[in-house]
Amino acid sequence: MVNWQYLESIESREILNIRSKYTNYIGGKFIEPNSKKYIETISPSTEEVLSKIAISNQNDVNKAVKAARSGFEIWSNLAPYERSKYLFKLARLIQERSREFAVLESLDGGKPIKESRDFDIPQVAANFFYFAGWADKIDLSWSTKGLKPHGVVGQIIPWNFPLLMLAWKVAPALATGNTVVLKPAETTSLTALLFAEICDQAGLPNGVVNIITGDGTTGSLIVNHKDINKIAFTGSTQVGKLIQKSLAGREVGLTLELGGKAANIVYEDAAIDQAVEGVVNGIFFNQGHVCCAGSRLLIQESVHDQFISKLEKRMQALRVGNPLDKNTDIGAINSKEQLNKITNLVDEGVADGGNIFQTECELPGNGFWFKPTLFTDVQPSYSIAREEIFGPVLTTLTFRTPDEAVEIANNTEYGLSAGVWTEKGSKILWTADRLEAGVVWANTFNKFDPASPFGGYKESGFGREGGRHGLLSYLKESS
Amino acid sequence: MIEIKKTYKNYVGGKYVRSESGKTYTKELKNEFYELPLTSKKDIRDAVTSSKDGYKKWSSTTPYLRMQILYRLSEMIEGNKESYVELLMHHGLTKQKANKDIDESIQNIVWFAGLADKWEQLAGNLNPVSEEYFNISHQNPIGVVFSLSGSNLSLNELLMSILPALTVGCSVISYSEENSVVALKFAEDINNSDFPSGSLNILSGKFENILDDVSKHVEINLVALHKELDNNGLKSIEENASESVKRVFSQPSIEGLSSILPYLETKTVWHPKGT
Repeated sequence: MVNWQYLESIESREILNIRSKYTNYIGGKFIEPNSKKYIETISPSTEEVLSKIAISNQNDVNKAVKAARSGFEIWSNLAPYERSKYLFKLARLIQERSREFAVLESLDGGKPIKESRDFDIPQVAANFFYFAGWADKIDLSWSTKGLKPHGVVGQIIPWNFPLLMLAWKVAPALATGNTVVLKPAETTSLTALLFAEICDQAGLPNGVVNIITGDGTTGSLIVNHKDINKIAFTGSTQVGKLIQKSLAGREVGLTLELGGKAANIVYEDAAIDQAVEGVVNGIFFNQGHVCCAGSRLLIQESVHDQFISKLEKRMQALRVGNPLDKNTDIGAINSKEQLNKITNLVDEGVADGGNIFQTECELPGNGFWFKPTLFTDVQPSYSIAREEIFGPVLTTLTFRTPDEAVEIANNTEYGLSAGVWTEKGSKILWTADRLEAGVVWANTFNKFDPASPFGGYKESGFGREGGRHGLLSYLKESS
Repeated sequence: MIEIKKTYKNYVGGKYVRSESGKTYTKELKNEFYELPLTSKKDIRDAVTSSKDGYKKWSSTTPYLRMQILYRLSEMIEGNKESYVELLMHHGLTKQKANKDIDESIQNIVWFAGLADKWEQLAGNLNPVSEEYFNISHQNPIGVVFSLSGSNLSLNELLMSILPALTVGCSVISYSEENSVVALKFAEDINNSDFPSGSLNILSGKFENILDDVSKHVEINLVALHKELDNNGLKSIEENASESVKRVFSQPSIEGLSSILPYLETKTVWHPKGT
């Protein structure tokens, strides 16, 4: 037998020109934070310090909101067709600098280069293209009366798909005539700041896009600012509830895209090999840092043993390591904090009595890593079956009948997404109708498209992003 | 002859019931005193249990049948038109205003009846995704809705606080304070129109008594306020609601397609195409 030796294929970092520190982008200018405070931002795969980002205070938020307010006067009065052209221009510029974005995203956030290069950044461009075309067709979008923009929108986004979440927020907000104050997550701010350069390059009017960095405190300053008309938040259900509470009694629009604990239902008549592939993609895509991840595998009892054995074999083939290696399937966990959270929940799963399987692989010495993990013999009451782990950890439950599968799938306060695997069309439609989830993937998982609305039922939030439905998140009826 | 005066009761799970608390509040309308049920926390809980069951039945009723049941409601009101007009006039409306209110009510019921089998075509669509996938967005009703009706004496206003949610398949707990005599009379026509029990529950009382119970109840999916509350009231409702990410709409639109949008959850289903 030939003893194949593994050869790395590392994406070059030469394309990047990371500055030693980044300031806020307000009113079309990069300006020092009033706070004078900066924190280091590191690469989670090596713990190497990449740069410094600003921690914005009340004065910085005030400045950004003020700039967005003046920007709104210009932007909302621009001919819709001119707004459309700006968005097309942004889309093109993103395409042109896509490799730079991809490398920076993987370096700063830890995700494999093949995902940032082939999924995140192409989707970012696609979102700007999609909403560019809507900008001058708002009147055709819904047969409701007099839709108009909210005004200044505060947008707070997470660290799992940094630039893609920016695109999901900024593109529809701008297309509908709003202006934005966006705060990226403090561990992954660099691509948003590179996007600010692109706004400059596109000649976007000052104040239309404002990007300020900081942690949760900065986020809450945006939420509580008196001159904000709408908040759009993607993140944990816990923080989402706090935001909803802060906005109580105030006339501020709100959309929330929160956590999930998606069931991925595998019926006995599924194409098993295809389902194994889909289940792996469903949970291990982006290290499992995905709000709609298929983290609860529901297998029909009759195929359980066969499925698990194939699944373990497939998991063993996953390559964990350097995000910039083009062969890497699973990159670094985004932060030490997240790694601790995953570790604690997994320890709890073991203590509860779950049967754990982890792949055999060598993890790099520095950085934050977690082996692909599968739990079997799990009871629905275990925390690993109820709480969002947001890591490469899959828990397995079994069922006997379709009714039972639906009942288990819906037995959660979340309702973001779900998966169904069967070769029987009628069973797909029957199941999809009964699942309380905003997105149902049948014989596929984790597919996204700017034309396809995304968002949750129940405690997974409200409002949709993407598609015709996504426009409504940024429009209100004129009274 | 002595005139017989009607006893008004709450309508829950298809039955006329007094408040379990035994309490009532008095409403004086044109020199007549009505003892109306003063809904308690326990009554709200019973109504939610009934509405959950009603939701299962009503949301799985075919659009074709929902349309006919709604249309039957208009038939019932038309048949009882005189009695509604009389009630409203009794309470101070002119004959002309009373007639107008009932005519508009009937017209609106017929409009929503006809929407029952069409809104999914207006609010959903196929999505042109850029890969070989079938991708469709359609809607589910949001579930159990609590709706606070307005303060005017009006059947039409009451209906506009109920019909949008009911038409799309939600079950509704309708709560009236000032307008409760009209609301509890209306329950009789609901009872005669083949609505599954629990799909529409009608309660009366003082909203401030149950404000916390309603907004904290995790099995109520949406709170619609068709009455202007003072800012503290709205603030407490929205604060309580945040504990379960409950949707709250203060004076939502009752116009056309906009009227039903709050009560819908959009579900997007993907499936690969292939040979």
